Amino acid sequence: MATQEFITHSAEETIALGRTLGGMLAPPKLVLLRGDLGAGKTTLVKGIAEAFQAASAEDVTSPTFTLVHEYRGPQANLYHIDLYRIDTPRQLETLGLDDLITNNSILLIEWGEKFARFERERDVEIALERLDDRLGQRSSEPASNQGSEDSAENARRIRITTT
Amino acid sequence: MAGAYILGIETSCDETAASVVYSGERLVSNVVFSQIAAHQPYGGVVPELASREHLKAIVPVVRKALADASQTYHSIDALAVTQGPGLAGALLVGIGYAKALAFALDKPLIAVNHLEGHIHAVLLEERQKNNREMSFPVLALVVSGGHTHLYLAEQQDEHWSYQNIGHTRDDAAGEAFDKVAKLLGLGYPGGPIIDKLSPHGDPTAVKFAPSQLKHRDRKDNGDPVAGSRFDFSYSGIKTSVLRYVERHDMEASIESRRKALSKMEKPALEDYLLHCDRQTLNLVASFQRALVGDLITKTLAAARACNAATLFVTGGVAANNELRRRFEQDATMEGLPAYFPSRPLSTDNAAMIAAAAYPKFLAGEFATMDFSAEAGMVLR
Repeated sequence: MATQEFITHSAEETIALGRTLGGMLAPPKLVLLRGDLGAGKTTLVKGIAEAFQAASAEDVTSPTFTLVHEYRGPQANLYHIDLYRIDTPRQLETLGLDDLITNNSILLIEWGEKFARFERERDVEIALERLDDRLGQRSSEPASNQGSEDSAENARRIRITTT
Repeated sequence: MAGAYILGIETSCDETAASVVYSGERLVSNVVFSQIAAHQPYGGVVPELASREHLKAIVPVVRKALADASQTYHSIDALAVTQGPGLAGALLVGIGYAKALAFALDKPLIAVNHLEGHIHAVLLEERQKNNREMSFPVLALVVSGGHTHLYLAEQQDEHWSYQNIGHTRDDAAGEAFDKVAKLLGLGYPGGPIIDKLSPHGDPTAVKFAPSQLKHRDRKDNGDPVAGSRFDFSYSGIKTSVLRYVERHDMEASIESRRKALSKMEKPALEDYLLHCDRQTLNLVASFQRALVGDLITKTLAAARACNAATLFVTGGVAANNELRRRFEQDATMEGLPAYFPSRPLSTDNAAMIAAAAYPKFLAGEFATMDFSAEAGMVLR
């Protein structure tokens, strides 16, 4: 088990980190993406998809509504999966994710930690969290500056754990 | 020009729908079996569940569409079905059924892009009102739970072509509505609830910075192609609402609201209002104001840049009251005629599929029996 930690300061940097990370992922892989709403999970996938020449960053969008987005690259098929609205094992079963696991597939699963099986089966876990831009404090702590609801250039802490 | 009764079938996502439309200009019947009730306990659309519901509903829905139109399987001239984009399993139910029916009846089958359908929903209703003089190019904003797309549409004889000039870089507008509603404990689907609650809050109470509605995944300076694009981003505003909730310690009241509302079978507006404090109503109103404002600003900027002569606003979010009102006002001020579908034709329906199929029927663009669902289908 090895953990690496990165700090990015903009969406551009998060995408760039995704590109680097994509270069290090060889299929088959099951990757869990952990982080609250707006932590930057889809942004990171934009970079990973670019690394695999599977899609350009601007074409990678949130799969919340559609649940599974597929991006085909020359070396691997990427499946960007969002389980935000899936709550029970029965619903998960009906998604048929097992059919997507093949030798050249990479599954990038958001909200996979809701289900114990993914905690067990995952090869890589990427945890993303928002950092307060100036104070470096966790975003869940109350901010002193009431007026700034602006999260434009917020920093992200990204921890990558491999088994 | 040959008139034709076309039976349209649509199963791309939430709704099982069938409709008979005459020559793309007269809605004869329109049946929509909404699966929202079936999905509600899960807070969203679950694909396999969707497919199963479509399977259950499709035969009675088609029969009712024919009966309402005083038509039979044999009297219609052609069938049309949604090919994509959508959930693969759900699309396949409609496609499989339409293929079997077309084969058995020996009628032509037309495959239609769902997004093209939304654009033709507007045309169908305008023709029905005897408005046949559309000035081109038409700029169409298709805005729903899964889409926020801007298309420039041109027509040459019977052939329509579309150029995508903008789309969301992250979340669709309808998804932002859904996620904000869910994180505020208001349930699913979120758009209609937020729309109903917004007039009860102060839309100027919470300020969302313009930067929260700007996509930041590309440095698009000087690139002429990038410069001509009008992309949207609704992930940032969702995060801002979440941060607002965290900073103002609203979690406990949200949780109690979620619990109270989930116990009710069909909460009425009064029930929502009873469980929403002023702060929540202000947040909801401010969120809607900001999102709607951004949709309008970017769409009108695109219309100016592309010299659009006509504006269409269509898709599920086009049913939003504030969006319609402000689009009408602002587009009129720019001398741009703006058209919306009626509310029943804003959300997913099959009339739009039957209407979009008519030009293809005239051009003889029929689907072969080997075509299949295209989950990520692009509109060109």
